[in-house]
Amino acid sequence: MSLNYTRQEMMAIAAGREIRDGELAIFGVGLSLLAGFFAQAHHAPNVRAMTEGGIYGATPVGGLPWGVECNRLCTNAVSFTGGLDALGFLVASGRCEVGLIGAAQVDRFGNVNTTGIWGELLDEHYRPPKTRLTGSGGANDIASGCQRVVIMLAHEKKRFAERVDYLTSPGYLSGGNARARYPFRGGGPSAMVTTLGILRPDPETKEFQLDAYFAFSSPAEIRAQTGWDLQFAPTLHIAPEPTEEELTALRRVDVTGALRRN
Amino acid sequence: MTHKLIALPQAVARFTRDGMQYASGAALPVGADAVAFGRELIRQNRRQLHAIFHSNTQQLNLLCAAGAVDKLECGFTGLEGFGFANGLRRAVESGRVVLEDYSNLSMALRFLGGALNWPFVPATVNIGTDVQFRSAFHPEEYASPRKIPPVIDPFSGQEYGALSPLRPELAVIHVTLADPEGNAIMLGSEWSRFELSRAARRVVLVADALVATDCMRQFPNLVRIPGLLVEAVVYWPFSAWPQASPGVHDVDEPHMRLMNQALGTPEGYAGYRRDFIDSYQTLDEYLALIGPDRITALSATATGFLLDPYRRWLLSRADIDELLAESKAS
Repeated sequence: MSLNYTRQEMMAIAAGREIRDGELAIFGVGLSLLAGFFAQAHHAPNVRAMTEGGIYGATPVGGLPWGVECNRLCTNAVSFTGGLDALGFLVASGRCEVGLIGAAQVDRFGNVNTTGIWGELLDEHYRPPKTRLTGSGGANDIASGCQRVVIMLAHEKKRFAERVDYLTSPGYLSGGNARARYPFRGGGPSAMVTTLGILRPDPETKEFQLDAYFAFSSPAEIRAQTGWDLQFAPTLHIAPEPTEEELTALRRVDVTGALRRN
Repeated sequence: MTHKLIALPQAVARFTRDGMQYASGAALPVGADAVAFGRELIRQNRRQLHAIFHSNTQQLNLLCAAGAVDKLECGFTGLEGFGFANGLRRAVESGRVVLEDYSNLSMALRFLGGALNWPFVPATVNIGTDVQFRSAFHPEEYASPRKIPPVIDPFSGQEYGALSPLRPELAVIHVTLADPEGNAIMLGSEWSRFELSRAARRVVLVADALVATDCMRQFPNLVRIPGLLVEAVVYWPFSAWPQASPGVHDVDEPHMRLMNQALGTPEGYAGYRRDFIDSYQTLDEYLALIGPDRITALSATATGFLLDPYRRWLLSRADIDELLAESKAS
């Protein structure tokens, strides 16, 4: 201890560490875009980055992009295609190795809700939500097709629910080998990186367990902020704090300081 | 060769009607979309639209706030870095707009299915989740009892989802460059505009700039929407404002926020309509509303080099006005 950094920065760095050099990788908007480009700026210079709009080979210029194909990602791309190419030919096909997505609500099997909050069980024909969220975007496609998916979200009890209000993007569904019924090319989420720690699925049950906490959090705090009976993995440990090199690389990507405001 | 140029108010009057399936061809929420076409739909009081937007934009946010949309099919309803889309959100939560959810890939696949005249598209996405079986649309609106019914691969026996194809009555597609015959080049992500241009029954282009046809002959591989698919071309620079058009202008960040905040309440929408929809009659008045200083600042985009190969073919405003005068006379 300790460099000065925010919880958001720790989350972005921890998520970026999940990306390996040389991988074909797809990033969602906002925090996951920063985490992805941090990885590229730090330990994965040969990551092959793409967005769901089909922008390939670009790095952000001028600050955090407003969107996955905003002008800040359009000044040094080598190819512009479209959604069918990125999410279909490269993701649904199983070619894409890792995807980063955000979530509003998750359950113990890594199923994601980004569609809406109803506060009640849904019928097949449903009523309007109390709170409308953004819908799937490319997240359902990434969660179905990418070989591995990393989910990023704020660690709050209301977001870590016993049951998601609406299952937008598939994690391990009802757990175990439930995904096997479907022709997904992707293996499911490999980690949930939160503002407090890192959860990983049990190899058999696929229930997410606490694998690491951060220097500023604790297993007890994380359990208290989780809506299901969170188990600790046998490998439970403190995640390494950001190094100076990591923080420098992240802040070079986050030039407008989006992650430093809290 | 006869040209297809038409003024924006005439395009809306001629090609749109209340209750129609209206698709917008755009990039994602901060990318290029013909937002100005939506402003004109509101000016002409179009109602009960069945909107088909691959992804939300400020145009959809505005049409929802205006009460112009009854039904909506969409893959993403936020504004990315600008947050939730307040006008759309208010309309969906109140039940004013019935929103049927898909994903970004399944919307593109449904356009592809419509374009190829497929009965359905076998999907490896959306299945196994609530996107597959839970529906906001009334069950009687589906040919099948379920939204994305299971279908068995006759070769392997594996279960897939059957996505319904889309063949919108009209697609209004934003393009960077068009020639007067409707050949078009898009800079930046196409998103699903290629598939949509083949799926829609009628296509109208809204272009940032017009070029001579020789430009298309120089880069025929880049002409992803050929004129033979296109009914009409509208010249309306900054039609994507306050969103961005790669190669032409950046996103207007303050106006993105101002607009979205306004759409969060009925009073805010009324003020926005007064100030930014009913307050101009002509293209020049529209550009004056954005303001010359802001236009200069937004046009100084770091993406401007993308337009360089095409600049020598750009038609001048005088050329364009002359062509438009011809079409009025005919």
